Amino acid sequence: MSESNDVVMTTSQTSESDPLMILPSNVVQEGDHVILVFGDGRQLFAQCLKKLRGKAPPVKINKRTYPTFNLVGLPYGTVVEVGSSKLHPLPEGEDVIPKYPDTNKKGDDSNEGNLEDAEATAADNTFPSIEQANDNRDLVDNNTSQQLQQRQVEKMRRTGMEGATIVDTLIENSASFQNKTEFSKAKYVARKQLKYQQRCRIVRCTPSSLCEAMFLKEPRKMLNLREDTLGQILSYSNVCAGSHVLVMDNCMGIVTGALAQRMGGYGKVFSIYPGQQPPYVDMIARFNLNFAENSSIKWVHVEDVFGTPQGETPTSAETEVDEEKADRELLEWPCPLQDHTRAHLEKMESEKEKRDFLARRCARFTRKLTRGTPGEAKEMLNARKCDSVVIATKHDPTQSLIELLPYLAPSSPFVVFCEYIEPLAECFRELQEQRLAINLRLSDTWMREYQVLPGRTHPSMNMSQSGGFVLTGIKLCPVTGINDLDEEIMKEIKEKMGGRRGKKSSNKKKGGKRGRNDAGGDGERGQKSRRVEGK
Amino acid sequence: MDFAQPLIESESVTTKSKIRHILVKPSENDDPPKLDDMLVEAANQAASNVFGNNNTDSSQYPERVIPQSEKIEENALVVIFESFDNLDFCYAKSGEIFNNRNGHFHHDDFIGKPYGSKIRSRNNQGYGFVFLLKPTPELWARSLKHRTQIVHELDASMIVFYLNLRPNMVVCESGTGSGALSHCIMRTIAPHGKLYTYEFNGMRAETARQEFAKNRVGHLVEVLHKDVCGKHGPGGFDRPQASVDAIVLDLPEPWAAVPHCGHILKPNARLASYSPCVEQAQRTIEELKKCGFHSIKTMEFRLKEHYVDEVEYDPPPREKRPRLPTHLGPTGKSNTGTKTATDAEAEKQEQEEEVTKGQPAATDQASSDNATAGSKRKKLLVTRPFAMMRGHTAFLTFCTAGNTPQPDPNQ
Ligand SMILES: C[S@@+](CC[C@H](N)C(=O)[O-])C[C@H]1O[C@@H](n2cnc3c(N)ncnc32)[C@H](O)[C@@H]1O
Repeated sequence: MSESNDVVMTTSQTSESDPLMILPSNVVQEGDHVILVFGDGRQLFAQCLKKLRGKAPPVKINKRTYPTFNLVGLPYGTVVEVGSSKLHPLPEGEDVIPKYPDTNKKGDDSNEGNLEDAEATAADNTFPSIEQANDNRDLVDNNTSQQLQQRQVEKMRRTGMEGATIVDTLIENSASFQNKTEFSKAKYVARKQLKYQQRCRIVRCTPSSLCEAMFLKEPRKMLNLREDTLGQILSYSNVCAGSHVLVMDNCMGIVTGALAQRMGGYGKVFSIYPGQQPPYVDMIARFNLNFAENSSIKWVHVEDVFGTPQGETPTSAETEVDEEKADRELLEWPCPLQDHTRAHLEKMESEKEKRDFLARRCARFTRKLTRGTPGEAKEMLNARKCDSVVIATKHDPTQSLIELLPYLAPSSPFVVFCEYIEPLAECFRELQEQRLAINLRLSDTWMREYQVLPGRTHPSMNMSQSGGFVLTGIKLCPVTGINDLDEEIMKEIKEKMGGRRGKKSSNKKKGGKRGRNDAGGDGERGQKSRRVEGK
Repeated sequence: MDFAQPLIESESVTTKSKIRHILVKPSENDDPPKLDDMLVEAANQAASNVFGNNNTDSSQYPERVIPQSEKIEENALVVIFESFDNLDFCYAKSGEIFNNRNGHFHHDDFIGKPYGSKIRSRNNQGYGFVFLLKPTPELWARSLKHRTQIVHELDASMIVFYLNLRPNMVVCESGTGSGALSHCIMRTIAPHGKLYTYEFNGMRAETARQEFAKNRVGHLVEVLHKDVCGKHGPGGFDRPQASVDAIVLDLPEPWAAVPHCGHILKPNARLASYSPCVEQAQRTIEELKKCGFHSIKTMEFRLKEHYVDEVEYDPPPREKRPRLPTHLGPTGKSNTGTKTATDAEAEKQEQEEEVTKGQPAATDQASSDNATAGSKRKKLLVTRPFAMMRGHTAFLTFCTAGNTPQPDPNQ
């Protein structure tokens, strides 16, 4: 064993060896989770593993499974074509919709489906002009122009014929392709390509790509949190490298993972969990977080934040022993062999067997040595006020926020996400009435994608209608944030103002949304106080 | 702003673990390796597996945290919250006074107070007040003096998000404009990232530079007075090939800068272009495709804000319809028979009296109805979208650079 290194503590300086300075590699690493994005917008998760080790499910595309070992080492952004048994990497410059060079071939027509992306890309690659030679005046929509039988096409596929060849054959055997407008030709080609020449791009898992893919796949499981809403949560919460953020996440861990990634391993993400074990291991794994980012997530148990159920006595702090921590502190790197372990090892026949045993043992010890306990997380949470609170929960947002606000430093922002607006309206009113916060904003987002092409720019035909609602605000200082005038002065001012304050409105609306928290004059909007000043 | 402060380091579970690479002496002869050497080798391997990046020294992983400024100090930037849509800022200086329509506010009353305080005006008996807030890029964007159109918080958050920005990245931005977006970018690339921001208007570049310094974010940004489009002379960003992690363009002619972007972006890095007009987006996209960009997506985002109101609805009204009397009652005048003209006249007058008398009675009746129905009144918490919204800001085009380095257009 070598002598122990004393840890020197300084304020952060850029240093070449600082692991937090290393940005994620642009090459797919062994074990990376990636997203495969197809030409038609489908998205699949895959983990790239050289050795399957029995646990890694290969990726399943159209009911067929494909190994992912050959994706390791490819640069992110590479397009692969789905073969009969393998994903074939394509050279740089290829897109998920293949370029189609030759348009002077025969073809048929079919209904003009909604294939915007495909259409856009293909049309653009091939048919740049807006002026059209053909139009649809002689078009017959009877689906008889394709002379190939479906069976023949299926056979071509089964025999492993190249996708491009199948598409060519289909076009050659289509009676009406020639008479179509250029756009319809492009659409036709793209549709066939999407079916017979499937391609996808290897996309890095980032908060945006992950959330988008999950929103397509299982929106309900993540409370319909659309990716643009997640993006706003990350900004409005003001998190940055070194923040302490307290998060309540029932969106499968997407919020927790996204925060950890946004903070790059600096600072702490206190994520609240119920039950035995920190949850959402699978989703967090998809972020490909590095060691620092992973250890910046501090799982805090609900008991340590919200307390125990009524009637149960909480464990008192004095009597509680953090056994996990005590255990860990007994360990010493690199964990010298105890006699019985040594004896056990001596008995092993092969060197490989010994090495495997030691590798497993050391891996276990390293994990143990670097893992903080819920008790420590609680201590850290209580040691310093948080810089932001983020709530994306299936529990009551109002109550959750009110109970978490004491952990937030004054003048720091909080963000509450909810898939419905009503719970946030209640939360809004409660904050206003208790005068806990200011700058309250309740919003949702309208998000639309566009097809942008010369002469053919239009919004996408489909769009998501709701990505959830967000309530943001800034906590007021509990001591100096409420600074009421004493009644004497108020009375005097009221008298001075005379009748101007007017009678109580007969309108039964109460409070209005924000008059109360607006600065200005007490109980009045800013304009009135200006008039006072003018005197 | 807080994000720009140097981080404080302290011991972490990992630093305490004392995990590090241990040197093993290579065995001198062909003897089977000793168990302890095998252990050390396995331990080294386990350490590099856990840390990744071949960095096996646990002392590299302390806890790091930004210092928290709780109280307002001399010269600190303070956001002054007057009302929901009226924010301002000042740099706290003892002796100075902040004036607005709510009154006179003395900086001496600010200094030493915690952020999040409510401050009373020194004039008009303290009737006026403001809140003092800790600056964030969002609050800053709402309080700064616009020198140009700015990128508002929704679009700014989308840009940072879809560009996958994270700490320690190198980002280029043009133009700087009022620096609103610049602050958002810097927050995310701190502590050791760098924003290069390009502005061809000398005044704006200089003002931005000074503002960044005053806001104490100067070490995260370099303002370059330059025309990136190269109308007169070489354009571009003067950064080495494939050295930049992300680019944001907010320019009238973004397409002219695109070839330069292709040159300096790292493989698979992201670019965002913010253009109010669709023609700008269209032309930019044509250029992006020529320069090897892919996954091009044009988006529009609108913020829909909502009021919260509490309303009480009465049940549907129930009251008596005013009626004309059908007979003249106990006066004995007959309804039948002939009427003189004066009779008719008198009758009419009488009826009018009846009606005017009847009305208050009916209202009394209704209000007492309401009073009894008070308990039946429904209280509802409702939301209502703002009457006006920002209908359009810009088309945001996002895309990814290809993996082949692009040539320098200036050569
Ligand atoms: C709309 S403003 C940018 C606002 C900024 N994004 C913000 O949020 O404050 C555009 C700026 O780009 C500058 N600009 C225009 N063309 C430029 C060019 N070719 N090179 C550098 N800056 C340019 C303008 O002077 C203007 O200040």
